[in-house]
Amino acid sequence: MEIRVEEDMAADRMVIEIVDDGCGMDEERARKALDPFFTTKTVRRVGLGLPLLSEACRMSNGEFRLESCPGKGTRVRAAFQHSHIDRKPLGNMRDTLITLMSGHPQLDLLYEHRKEGKTFSLDTREIKADLGEIPLDAPAVVSALRTLIQSGLEDLGAF
Amino acid sequence: MTLREAAEKLGLKPVAGLSRLSREFGQGYVSDLLSDVMANAKPGDIWVTLQIHQNIIAVATLKELAGIILISGRQPEKQTLAKAEEEQVPLLLSDLPAFEVVGQLYQMGITGRR
Repeated sequence: MEIRVEEDMAADRMVIEIVDDGCGMDEERARKALDPFFTTKTVRRVGLGLPLLSEACRMSNGEFRLESCPGKGTRVRAAFQHSHIDRKPLGNMRDTLITLMSGHPQLDLLYEHRKEGKTFSLDTREIKADLGEIPLDAPAVVSALRTLIQSGLEDLGAF
Repeated sequence: MTLREAAEKLGLKPVAGLSRLSREFGQGYVSDLLSDVMANAKPGDIWVTLQIHQNIIAVATLKELAGIILISGRQPEKQTLAKAEEEQVPLLLSDLPAFEVVGQLYQMGITGRR
């Protein structure tokens, strides 16, 4: 999975792109994905992640796009007017990434965040290669990653 | 108090979920942040909001809310109305601003305390 965040102050745009190489969706499923009453979950009837994200784009003069191909994966692109008064804050990306990585240590995750000419990136494949037998969700590893991500985002002015 | 009684006293216009207007409610929640409602509203609450997108119906269903009051003359989107009717989620319209709707409900004994 790849998560890219670009904050382009000159163009007054923030774009979040999420790409995966999962099982993908056919056209009908991709269309239904924005219906809050459509979900593949079995424990409840509503699925609000994508509907809320697309609404958040709309409310901040942005746009939302979902492209998917069965067997290949899905790309979600959420764009926002950066300075829009109703744009919701990006939130705590440090803890979001830590939760993703420690909850799914088998996932190959690439995170790239660009802002004002600077970039912070994190690739769990490289980290796992360096760790060898030590699991990604080992407490000491999680703690180190938390510090690494925080300082990376702080350098970017994004934390 | 039932939703029907509240509608009569506050001059609310029910536009969907009419089969459930005899539902009783005693507490309410006011917020326009759906994530906040998902985190903090309780089953049976009446929800006061200006949001008109169909996501409000999904949230109301998820949280088992008594119904939704849309404020300040806001009209639900076409899809919101359709979903409200499909799910039989009571949707009531008010010309009043949120502060006034909540204040009047409070005076009628509807609280927000947990």
